[in-house]
Amino acid sequence: MSGGYKQQPGGGGNITRKDGKRVAGKQSFPPPGSGGSRPQMAERDLQFIPETVGGREKQPAGAHVHDRIRTGTTVGKSMKLVDSNAKVTGQAWYGDDVRLPNECVAKILRSPHHYAKVISIDTSKVEALPGVLAVATGQDSTTSFGVLPVTKDEHAMAVDKVRHVGDLVACVAAVDEATALHALSLFEVEYEELEPVFDPKKGLEDADEPIHWRGKYHLAKTNVQKRVFQEFGDRSLIDKPSASNHNKWTMKGVHHGFTEPHAVVAHWDPNGRLQLYTPSQVPHYTHRALSTVLAVPMHQINVIRTFVGGGFGGKSDPFPHEMCAALLSRKCGRPVRITFDREEVYMINRGRHPSHIEVKMSADKEARITGFDIDALIDGGGFASFGHVTSYYNGVLATAPYELGSFHYTGARVWTNKPASGAMRGHGAVNTRCAVEVGLDQMAEDLSIDPIDLRLANLLPPHSRTISGFRITSNGMREALERVREGSDWDNKFRQLPLGKGIGIGCGFFISGSGLPIHWDPNKFPHATVHIQVDMDGGVTVHSGAADIGQGSTTAIAQVVAEVLALPIEMIHVRSHESDTSPVDLGSYSSRVTFMNANAAIRAAIEIRDKLLNAAWEMIGYHPDLLVLNDRRIYYKHDPSIGVSYLKALHKAQEDKGALISSGAYRSPPMGGIHKGAAAGLAPAYSFSAYVAETDVDIETGKIKCTNVWAAHDCGRALNPLAVKGQIIGSCHMGLGQVISEEMVYGRTGHLQNANLLEYKIPSVHEMPNVVPIIVESCDPEGPFGAKEAGEGPLLPILPAVVNSVYDAIGIRINDLPLTPDTVYFAIEKKMKAQSVDDPLELESPRLIHSAMQQVVVERAAQHKVRDVARQRSDDTSAYVNGVLFGFDPNIPLEDQVEGWRSATEPLPGQLAELGFAGKAWLKKEQRELEGDN
Amino acid sequence: MVGTEHVDMLPVGAKEIWSAKVNGEDVEVLTTSNATLLDVLRDKVGTLGVKRGCDLGTCGCCTVMVDGQPQLSCLTFAGQVSQCEIITVEGLADGAHLAPIQNCFAKYGGSQCGFCTPGFLISAQSLLNTNTSPTDEEVKTAIEGNLCRCTGYQQIVESIQAAAAIHRGEVEAEAPASSPHPDPHPSGPEEPQMPPGHAR
Repeated sequence: MSGGYKQQPGGGGNITRKDGKRVAGKQSFPPPGSGGSRPQMAERDLQFIPETVGGREKQPAGAHVHDRIRTGTTVGKSMKLVDSNAKVTGQAWYGDDVRLPNECVAKILRSPHHYAKVISIDTSKVEALPGVLAVATGQDSTTSFGVLPVTKDEHAMAVDKVRHVGDLVACVAAVDEATALHALSLFEVEYEELEPVFDPKKGLEDADEPIHWRGKYHLAKTNVQKRVFQEFGDRSLIDKPSASNHNKWTMKGVHHGFTEPHAVVAHWDPNGRLQLYTPSQVPHYTHRALSTVLAVPMHQINVIRTFVGGGFGGKSDPFPHEMCAALLSRKCGRPVRITFDREEVYMINRGRHPSHIEVKMSADKEARITGFDIDALIDGGGFASFGHVTSYYNGVLATAPYELGSFHYTGARVWTNKPASGAMRGHGAVNTRCAVEVGLDQMAEDLSIDPIDLRLANLLPPHSRTISGFRITSNGMREALERVREGSDWDNKFRQLPLGKGIGIGCGFFISGSGLPIHWDPNKFPHATVHIQVDMDGGVTVHSGAADIGQGSTTAIAQVVAEVLALPIEMIHVRSHESDTSPVDLGSYSSRVTFMNANAAIRAAIEIRDKLLNAAWEMIGYHPDLLVLNDRRIYYKHDPSIGVSYLKALHKAQEDKGALISSGAYRSPPMGGIHKGAAAGLAPAYSFSAYVAETDVDIETGKIKCTNVWAAHDCGRALNPLAVKGQIIGSCHMGLGQVISEEMVYGRTGHLQNANLLEYKIPSVHEMPNVVPIIVESCDPEGPFGAKEAGEGPLLPILPAVVNSVYDAIGIRINDLPLTPDTVYFAIEKKMKAQSVDDPLELESPRLIHSAMQQVVVERAAQHKVRDVARQRSDDTSAYVNGVLFGFDPNIPLEDQVEGWRSATEPLPGQLAELGFAGKAWLKKEQRELEGDN
Repeated sequence: MVGTEHVDMLPVGAKEIWSAKVNGEDVEVLTTSNATLLDVLRDKVGTLGVKRGCDLGTCGCCTVMVDGQPQLSCLTFAGQVSQCEIITVEGLADGAHLAPIQNCFAKYGGSQCGFCTPGFLISAQSLLNTNTSPTDEEVKTAIEGNLCRCTGYQQIVESIQAAAAIHRGEVEAEAPASSPHPDPHPSGPEEPQMPPGHAR
């Protein structure tokens, strides 16, 4: 290496101070293209190159289509998030950290009433207040919006009615916060109060004034926003069960509890373009909604996603306050900033739906699961949000991982006069999953068999189809169950621990990317697009619209590009903040980002790789098939000394063209059935998980403390094990909160009583169990390097695992979440009374003596294990649909099965009488049908 | 701001000059006598690394070090700590040399979305300033006032323990990220000395 350039004349060589620190301005550093600090090319890391292409990485699940582009650079290695240095130095800029020159502050006037007509708003006193710059009300934009195109029911501010306490009424921008707050008290609003609805069961009944009106599609005069009916399989199988149970659950509403409150800055620049800064998970939907509401073409809006201080689904809707900021900024011509306080965060909510869930299940004499009957009545609050989808997810995401004889689901989402529920981590699947898994535990108990063996004997294999028609590809469920069983020493603990100590199992199943995008116009539009640009300096700029909300999507994209191009990750720069520069991306929801964006990034990177290899071909004369791409050098496979540096190949490829540019896109393959609602729950891949939780129950106070969790999650392949483990442990934390302490408390008057982090109890470090994350790698055939999601699925199993462990500890099943100390205490008291015991310490914890059935399920599980390995490794590529376990031909699709197998999306008249709570929505007729009656 | 009740103009305190030593520099700003330390640091001093999560002392995002002790800046009037020495997350690094606690949070996954990170860093650093061999329980006690919704705390505790090891001198600290010889130089390796025996 030469002496190198001097930063300034006079210095030279390795000048260091006595204390060893470098002297600024006196350093020599190499001129571009003369070699880095590493004198030799790093050897290929064979530990991270798959066996099938000559490396030493084991592939128990078989080869993968991306094996040939592996370079051993980053994939599978734990690495820090690429934006972590910004975060640990305080330089990461979140919503409220955007400070523009001449900015002003806006505040929102919110409804004091649950439900009322807005008769008039007098703003004259507000406008007269010195320091007020702009005022806006619902009349400034009467166009509705919403995250789903089918349910656009929100407005920037109330147009005719307010629908919950805290609904937006008006907003005001002023020179400072104190003036804006003062201005709020000067609005004179006349309301006409209406009869509010708080109880979702009431929402099923006809009301004088339904909260929204859907015209001819409105269901009678109820507050039902969406009803769902699905039935598959052979209903006669459930007639003579060997075991069955029926449980009614009440789950409270839960909030995401992200630490960063919502904030937005809007600025109409001098050219009349809107620059909107917002911590959003799905900037693209915000972009669309802004365009509609403001009546401005999308290209005149630049949505800038700031760093997002936690999302978990709670920052995925386009929000009315974003519209308010834009409207006010347009009026006053200055940048407008709105920052929520914590109470306002709860007012906009979008958390998990408060739910009433009813689950019936049964098993036959061979311990096959003959039926799941699920009824889910969910409380949507004042607006639709993602609720259309949630209504489906509550049922359809329970159709796997088990093979079912029949499946029956009725769901209804009703509007109530509360802040809107929406999507939250584990969207729609969490509550039902808990009910189902606890039901299975109970059924295993009734059959006197081990609940893990019951599950192992009833799993769908890899490459199969669920009863509702979902295409399962990779499936690591069995391995996950086996590993938590071994890790937790289950066989020596289950039903053997002393009173007050318990162990429980729970499983999970979740989508890895919604198969249908929310906006699918035009139909063949890709779900994700990634652009790559490589200029003279060799640095790689990646443009992506994927919203990094802390899960590390930017890192994942940088990793896969680095892997394909064999470059150090520091040379990959991901630009994903601005809609001006990023290709359209649908955002961070439904656990789609790693699967879809990384796939798109791989395609774009392969294009660059091909250009580089072709240039090298020209330079050294070997065909790209014979070339190896490694650490900034391309060389001949059989003689590494024949090669060319990355930079030289790049410069050759750039001759007469300039920077290398490529674009890669991903769209999920066509799949799914044709029945109504078949698209809900479709995904290109599914994740599986199994957790074992160990819990101590203080039998005298009812306080529960989860102590240990063995958490196995099948994420396909861990691109970054550090991040996957972080997601697993974080999911445990959030799910545990829902089990032990978190609930949105609505009082008798319908007011939210705990809109702050003191009374909304998020587990602190002391409540956290010791979590042992176990990564299961089933290597998905379509996933990027085999990867699937790891962000939401890991949340599902923690709830049932803890609830089941509480039963193991004290022999009491509680079907109300959260399991607060008083809930558990009263349940213990009740049991003491029932058993006429005076001292709770005299209660008995449950014990298990295996029945003859145990042998049956163990044998079946062993057979199925052989079957699953063969299918996973593609040794067996035959078709498999749900139902084979019950003796049906695997080659015949479900809907064409023999007589008795049914696929229905509407109830038969005879069924109406026996439907559950949510099913009662089917007793009503839509307006258009009612009109027909007249 | 729910409700119809009349909210008077917040009582505006008298203007006063607030001075303190923030991150080693003497700072003098014009503020009001009732301003919180959080407001002054974010809006006047410009240390936006101090985060506002709840304004009620419940989340710990706004934790700063006042004379070596962690303190919630949203519950502190600026006037209470004038002339004090205040360290925010911006003051942890020594120029381009990140503090061990910062490097470890990045390296061991102690930071995901990063919003709570400044508060955790200050709480952790305050602990490490007085105790470089904390037990896990001591670490947990030090950060019990900080909420994190992403990580589940486990990797945060690991990060703090890793930083403690560096403070004890058992493990060497990392080189600064902005070192003038960052490894990924695009031209990569020297040409002639190629290690033999590569897989294809």
